[in-house]
Amino acid sequence: MSGLKQYFKDSWEGIWTVLVGMKITFKHLFVPNVTIQYPSVRVPMPERVRNRLYVNMDDCIGCDQCSRACPVSCISIDTVKSLPSEDLGVTSNGKKKALWVTKFDIDFAKCCYCQLCVFPCPTECIYMTDVYEFSEYERGKLLYNFSTLTPEQAAEKKANLEKFNAEKEALKAAAAAEAAAKPKIEKPQDKTE
Amino acid sequence: MNLYDLIFYLFAAVTLLSAAVVVSSKNIIYSAFSLVLTFFGVAGLYILLGADFIGVVQILVYVGGIMILLLFGVMLTNKITSVDIRTGTVNVLPSAIAIGVFMGLVTSIMIWTKWVSLPTETPLTTTNELGKLLITEYVLIFELLAILLLVALIGAASIARRDKE
Amino acid sequence: MYEFLTNLIGNEVLAWIIIAALPLFVVILPYALVAIWLERKVSAHMQDRLGPMITGWHGWLQSFADVLKLLQKEDLVPAEADKKLFNIAPALVFTASYAAFAVIPFSSGFIGSGAEIGIFFILAVSSFAVAGILMGGWASNNKYSLIGAMRAVAQIISYEIPTALVVLSMVMITGTLSLEKISAMQTGYFWNWFIFGGPEWGLTKFLLIPFMLVGFLILYMSTLAEVNRTPFDIPEAESELVGGYHTEYSGMKFAMFFLAEYANMFAVSAIVSIIFFGGYQSPVGYLGDLFGVSWLIPFEQLFWFVAKGLFFVFVQMWLRWTLPRLRVDQLMNLCWKYLIPYSIANLIIIGLISLI
Repeated sequence: MSGLKQYFKDSWEGIWTVLVGMKITFKHLFVPNVTIQYPSVRVPMPERVRNRLYVNMDDCIGCDQCSRACPVSCISIDTVKSLPSEDLGVTSNGKKKALWVTKFDIDFAKCCYCQLCVFPCPTECIYMTDVYEFSEYERGKLLYNFSTLTPEQAAEKKANLEKFNAEKEALKAAAAAEAAAKPKIEKPQDKTE
Repeated sequence: MNLYDLIFYLFAAVTLLSAAVVVSSKNIIYSAFSLVLTFFGVAGLYILLGADFIGVVQILVYVGGIMILLLFGVMLTNKITSVDIRTGTVNVLPSAIAIGVFMGLVTSIMIWTKWVSLPTETPLTTTNELGKLLITEYVLIFELLAILLLVALIGAASIARRDKE
Repeated sequence: MYEFLTNLIGNEVLAWIIIAALPLFVVILPYALVAIWLERKVSAHMQDRLGPMITGWHGWLQSFADVLKLLQKEDLVPAEADKKLFNIAPALVFTASYAAFAVIPFSSGFIGSGAEIGIFFILAVSSFAVAGILMGGWASNNKYSLIGAMRAVAQIISYEIPTALVVLSMVMITGTLSLEKISAMQTGYFWNWFIFGGPEWGLTKFLLIPFMLVGFLILYMSTLAEVNRTPFDIPEAESELVGGYHTEYSGMKFAMFFLAEYANMFAVSAIVSIIFFGGYQSPVGYLGDLFGVSWLIPFEQLFWFVAKGLFFVFVQMWLRWTLPRLRVDQLMNLCWKYLIPYSIANLIIIGLISLI
């Protein structure tokens, strides 16, 4: 008899619990939805969000510290020394710039958005922005060039430096030759003394 | 030609062609599915003859029940991976003789019976009459069939459960 | 319109076939599109989402976009599949669900066939869908498809029994199998519906009400299982069987399975509403009667019929997003240990009451 009672109880519970569930889902029909319609509406990003890097080249002194901090080696920097005659100005926090940054590439296909490059920067010129929609169809397009110098300018700076260096070398060599010539003459004198 | 005739020939053609496929096909699955079509054609013929209830029962019982059981049997007793669901032909001569005798019998009955031809009119539904006949005149046969089915059911259940003991 | 077509074609049978079949075909496709959109919106809002919003106002064109997409898709047939059966199966399934609409009375002015065996015919042709599902599942030559087809068939055949028993009990009361006559019986106001004990006043009416409710619940559950909807959707359980019997189908063939599913949903909802909720009868009387415009009545009836049908379709969706999927053994338990005993008891009790 108790089995039969249980049977009816089970049947009743089966129907009743379904009705309870239906009541809950029906209520949810009128709950305001939580959908954010992404392309037209965007979630505001938190202040310290870590997304695409940006380099403010006006402040970059080409110290290469970010590149060395990068765990995936996605930053590559080339620098050329400036000539003494050239004035590169100062950064916003008063550091004097002494290097031409001929190449400042960040490969975002490799970047892991760890922000480790941001901390060592002495001038705070590399930082993370809230831009997160920069997908590309080709991986090569994710290689960003931040350098303000065009390749020609970079080549020119390099050539300038080489020329300057060569001149300096020549001067040095000349000085050295002169210096080498002098002791040769004076040596015998020393020996004689 | 009347449209009813056209429909009749359509159903007759469906029945005959699918029946031919049933016996000639080497693939037993094809045979089984053609049998569905055969039953469908026969049901259509029944309905054209004014036996709507019988026609629908034909579909319900044969297509819905027996055919599906048959297909289940065929599919489950064969390995699906190795498609070895084939039929062959054996004993051609004896079967040809048997079929010849049977066909002769049926044809002779067809010819010698005096068919009563009714004037064409919209056939009335047969469900009520069938129900009354089953409960009054043929009640014994009806009950016997019910008991037979019950016996078959109990037998099937007992065979299926035997292994457990 | 019938006379017009008869004059046009010059053959009454052909005219009748066209007038019976064409409107249905014209109606089912847009209905399915609307139902698919409704399903998405209902499911989305029940989960506090929005669903499609881009294509048209609240995404109402999404289904049309999907149809366009499916039309363009490549018609893939697996190399190892049985090509003939693979191509026939979707057509068979769709034909079966479409054929069921032939005997459903949409209003007193529009019914495909007033065949006396109406409800019995629907039970019978739905078995063609079983054959089609089995055919598709086997022909795909894929284990998921085959398992899905097997489950679908086992489920549909099992749940045909409680459906038939409830229908039988209703046939005992009404004394007819014709859906048109069953609908016509429940005319008047909503208390004449069979869920409220039928049109005849007296003790039997009030005695019948609880058993009608039980019958309605059984019929609704078992028809829900017959159309393979959640919580009875184990034949196409996505998490277990990929897509069940239509795993291998793509493009328009897949669309046909989909269309058949939604057509079936409406068909079973229509059956429930005809048997228990008065079919095309208005619950509160007709405007046509009020203003003496008799041609308005069939259109009002059509409105009420479609409204009731869509309401039950909505309840099916509601249940889908409420309940998790049943296990195979639970499914069979529900059918054989609960629904069938209850429907047999219900049948006997209703029979006894109708004798009073």
